[in-house]
Amino acid sequence: MAGEYSATVSSRGLDQAPPSSGLRRLVVVLLNLLLVGSLVLFFALPGPQERSYPQREPVRFWHMWSGEWKDVVDGIAAEFNKSQDKYEVIALSVPGASADYKFLLAVAGGDPPDCMAQWNQVIPAWADQGMLVPLDTLMSPAEWQDFQASAYPVALKIGCYKGHLYGVTTGINIWGCYYNPAHLRDAGLDPDNFPTDLDEVWAWGQKLNRYDENGNLTRMGFLPGWCQMYVPVFGGSFYDPGADQVTIYTPANLHALTWLADKHKELGYDKVVRFQSMLNTGGFSTEWPFISGQYSITVDGQWRVEQLAKYAPDLKYRTAPIPPPKGGKPLAGWSNGNFMIIPKGARHVAGAWEFIKFWSGVENPERAAKFYTRGGWLPLSPKIARAPVYQEYLRKYPQFKTFLDVLPSENIQTSAPVPYQVFLGDMIGRADDFAMRGTLAPAQALKDLERNVAQEIERRRRFGL
Amino acid sequence: MQSNRTGYAFISPWLLGFLIFTVFPFVASIYLSFCRYDIISPPAWVGTANYEELLAKDPRLWKALWNTLYYASVAVPLGIVAAFALALLLNLDVKGMSVYRTIFFLPNIVPAVATSIVFVWILNPQIGLVNGLLRHIGVEGPAWLNDTKWAMRSLIMMSLWGVGGSVIIYLAGLKDIPASLYEAAVVDGAGTWDRVRHVTIPMMTPVIFFNLIMGIIGAFQYFTQAFIMTAGGPEDSTLFYALYLFYRAWRYLDMGYASAMAWVLFVVVTTVTAVVFRTHRKWVHYGG
Repeated sequence: MAGEYSATVSSRGLDQAPPSSGLRRLVVVLLNLLLVGSLVLFFALPGPQERSYPQREPVRFWHMWSGEWKDVVDGIAAEFNKSQDKYEVIALSVPGASADYKFLLAVAGGDPPDCMAQWNQVIPAWADQGMLVPLDTLMSPAEWQDFQASAYPVALKIGCYKGHLYGVTTGINIWGCYYNPAHLRDAGLDPDNFPTDLDEVWAWGQKLNRYDENGNLTRMGFLPGWCQMYVPVFGGSFYDPGADQVTIYTPANLHALTWLADKHKELGYDKVVRFQSMLNTGGFSTEWPFISGQYSITVDGQWRVEQLAKYAPDLKYRTAPIPPPKGGKPLAGWSNGNFMIIPKGARHVAGAWEFIKFWSGVENPERAAKFYTRGGWLPLSPKIARAPVYQEYLRKYPQFKTFLDVLPSENIQTSAPVPYQVFLGDMIGRADDFAMRGTLAPAQALKDLERNVAQEIERRRRFGL
Repeated sequence: MQSNRTGYAFISPWLLGFLIFTVFPFVASIYLSFCRYDIISPPAWVGTANYEELLAKDPRLWKALWNTLYYASVAVPLGIVAAFALALLLNLDVKGMSVYRTIFFLPNIVPAVATSIVFVWILNPQIGLVNGLLRHIGVEGPAWLNDTKWAMRSLIMMSLWGVGGSVIIYLAGLKDIPASLYEAAVVDGAGTWDRVRHVTIPMMTPVIFFNLIMGIIGAFQYFTQAFIMTAGGPEDSTLFYALYLFYRAWRYLDMGYASAMAWVLFVVVTTVTAVVFRTHRKWVHYGG
């Protein structure tokens, strides 16, 4: 071996002169400097998070907010840390796209955060797998009773699974109509008399549509879509709480999907697709097409009120609940929310629970009211809504009241509380897509959906899930 | 012996990483494919249920497999032809050729995620560059990624963006063809096309073969662009096998099923590669 090696070296030496010793030394010195420099930089840079109160019990809190929202969340954590001297909440923003995987791996690895703010459809699945601490077990029976009596019904629907509370809401989302009065007046419509019938809103939308010379839509008057939102408005539902069963192919659900698909057909499937793909929907608040005037009437969530105040303070707009069609249900729609969970295996459950009570207002509704107003969030309970800070917010932004008025409605539905909720949501979205593009008749889309879900239920049964 | 130990010591970080992060998951996935496993609970043995499910009861899997096969059978040959043609052009003796070569290679150093996001805008039906150019010649382009019929074609077209890497390999191969073969062909009266047809292409077949195999394997693992640009839509038209596998694993926490899917993919890729390998004696020429 050694002989071969030296022979190679000597043969190289014949046709290639070795580098001078001075050059070699220079290269070695430079490499060493690079190595030392990298090490110094590595250790000199501050760690990702400095503890402000190292003597306190740390409460590691993960959330998915970024940008302007992250500042709000960091502010709430800082206020909690100031409010007491036992715990320190260390907030960490985890990118939304991978937050669930990171959380799952952290739980599986035995090192989960102490609490997490979620908004994905995770409670039924994670609770079913025994990953979450039932939060009602952290309350006394009287507290739990009081919680159930005081929270908005939708907060309980979002947070509960099989009789236990796994998530406490820190902000409920309700959708309603936003409309631009200037557009309406230009089209000869009276913004003071917004329709109370969904078909009438559609008729208004037709008068508000604008097209370019090629016949492409440049402004959408009103585009109804997203069947999960409209099914409750038509009196339908994807879940029967009495029977604890998913319901799909029902007359009301079919009516809703057919109505929506018909409207897309009327506008032209291709025209709708082209219009929607033109919109800036990168997720930044300022990109909302309603701000740029591309929608005259649109259905969106209450948090837009706060964003409009920040980014389009001069835009004149009004809000209204989604009107039902004839035979439909008023003050209806789909809702979700931000909720706090505590994973099993969390090291500082007590601290996490203190933080959740602090933010959500379980403990002190008046104090928590200001947190809700900072993010434009709907509160956990009417007690918070009645707080002076919240009332002041409503006076400042009267458009927000529309959503607060819808909040107690029993016609507001949430996603079916079944362990395969994510699968169900994806499949409903898929059926929606097939129907809105005209590929499948609404009845067929719902039948296919029903078959897919039945197969999944059967599979879960076979696998003992 | 001593020198071997030193060598192993030097490569031990890589070896350990390979054993822990590649070999172990690879072997574990065989076991997991026969289990129900959601990451949190311990795996529970279910026998061949996952395989039965995916082979007989999951139409989306077959849709995903079909999409992947379609992509592989169109994008890979198209990429080979485009890269080879480009390499021939970039092999010409023209002033400033290194600049052209650099230009064609540049897309390869842009991360796939960034490229995907840029292409979402380029292919925007209303305000995108492609339809803007088409409009100039009086053609109203399709809705590309938003159109069920065009989404897959869009991804195939986009795959040509990254042929720069293959071009470099073809260029190296072209440089390796002995000049004597061309000289002999000229003496025999061969024209330009004849030289390409009877000298260049046969001499390049080992390189084409290499690119074909790598292209097939890459196509079966196609994920990033579809994940970012279409998420499998519209209407499952770009639901690739690897993407569906990812959804099954991480969205539905069905690791056992995803492991079974991965092994089916492994068998499919191995079979296709083996079939291509069997044909190579007939058309790949090792010489020169």
